[in-house]
Amino acid sequence: MRLRRTDPHTLAGAYALDALGEADRERFEHHLGGCESCKAEAASLRDAAGRLAEVTAAAPPPQLRGQVIAEAARTRQQAPPVRVTERVRRSWHGVGWPAAPRMAVAIAGVGILVALALGALLINDQHRLHIYDTQRSQIAAVLNAPDADIMTVRARPHGAATVVMSHTARALVLTTARLPALPASECYQVWLMGRHGVRSAGRLPSPKQGMTAPMIVAGLAAGDRMGVTVEPAGGAARPSSPPVVMLDLPTA
Amino acid sequence: MTAELPGERPRAASGADLAGLLAKVARGDDAAFAGVYDQFATIVYGIVRRVVRDPAQSEEVTQEVLLEVWRTASRFDPGEGSARSWLMTLAHRRAVDRVRSAQASAEREARAAVAATDYDVVAEEVENRLDAQRVRRCLDALTELQRESVTLAYYGGYTYREVAALLGVAVGTVKTRMRDGLIRLRDCLGTEP
Repeated sequence: MRLRRTDPHTLAGAYALDALGEADRERFEHHLGGCESCKAEAASLRDAAGRLAEVTAAAPPPQLRGQVIAEAARTRQQAPPVRVTERVRRSWHGVGWPAAPRMAVAIAGVGILVALALGALLINDQHRLHIYDTQRSQIAAVLNAPDADIMTVRARPHGAATVVMSHTARALVLTTARLPALPASECYQVWLMGRHGVRSAGRLPSPKQGMTAPMIVAGLAAGDRMGVTVEPAGGAARPSSPPVVMLDLPTA
Repeated sequence: MTAELPGERPRAASGADLAGLLAKVARGDDAAFAGVYDQFATIVYGIVRRVVRDPAQSEEVTQEVLLEVWRTASRFDPGEGSARSWLMTLAHRRAVDRVRSAQASAEREARAAVAATDYDVVAEEVENRLDAQRVRRCLDALTELQRESVTLAYYGGYTYREVAALLGVAVGTVKTRMRDGLIRLRDCLGTEP
């Protein structure tokens, strides 16, 4: 009897066949989050599994078509995921808010302005000022970069993360709002994942009124994703829980 | 070579067509949604029916799946896989969720007896469709244990642990057979004309 941690790779087949229990599935999906080649394999195996339905094709009862279409007509559709990308300068320097169709962008913009303003107040706490000085100038550099992009992504189970990212600065500024409150024994930890493996970017500051102060994440590489997980209060060496936030960072 | 058989049902649209339809559905295009129904309801209902078995429940689940397509078409991300795969995953997961949540263990055991013969039943029901024939040929190319592991999970809706219990083999063996079986299936389906 060998005692060792099972290699999550071997679950790829069972995953593609929906043959994992909930816990196994979450664990595997977490693994996929940090492994591009596993994602590609999982997708190709899913594709193959889906082909198995070719041999079971069967005509549904004829009345179903009308029912489904009528029901759809009464069902509200989900908005696409909010991954707003907008040049910061345009809104930041008050050239004017985008017109109505761009309202989502405008709202994301207001959100971050509020978050940043609050954050700026919070970090003016007298004793901490010197610690934050360097960070603050880094933050300002990202926010003022000509290529800065704003993105907002929904967190699970609730809340949102807003990211301002600059390719030239290879850094991003992260704020969050309304993430679930954590007990003192836990913290939110930020990760970068990509070709250079999984790197911790540090812990999220503790929230004030549900929002976290802007945090600088430097050393981005092309193709990185940013994730946030719940970890023990001291931080962890590797992510150990499913991400509450996961964001594919745009490439230049 | 592969002449279409007369009287064959038109082939389901390719994934690229479905992706195009989904983009329209996401914008509330009900004609595109009807198009999705017309081209994919048969394959969705078929697999749901295979897993769930009860016709009334299968109808319900099929409706849920298609409404989910309507509701969440905007969430389909071509970067994550093909549109067809996205749809079949929705359908299969819903079907599996239904049997796992609703079915009492006693009923599940009764199903186990039925499921053991699943593959043969499936084979008999196969229509004379080229796609289906190809899948059958590729299934036949698997080892017995690979085929049983894959079909019990996919058509029977069992977890890999349950499949291991049904087949009386180690859990680890079933995991690898599922993966190897699907890899072989994928390569076979991908390389055949």
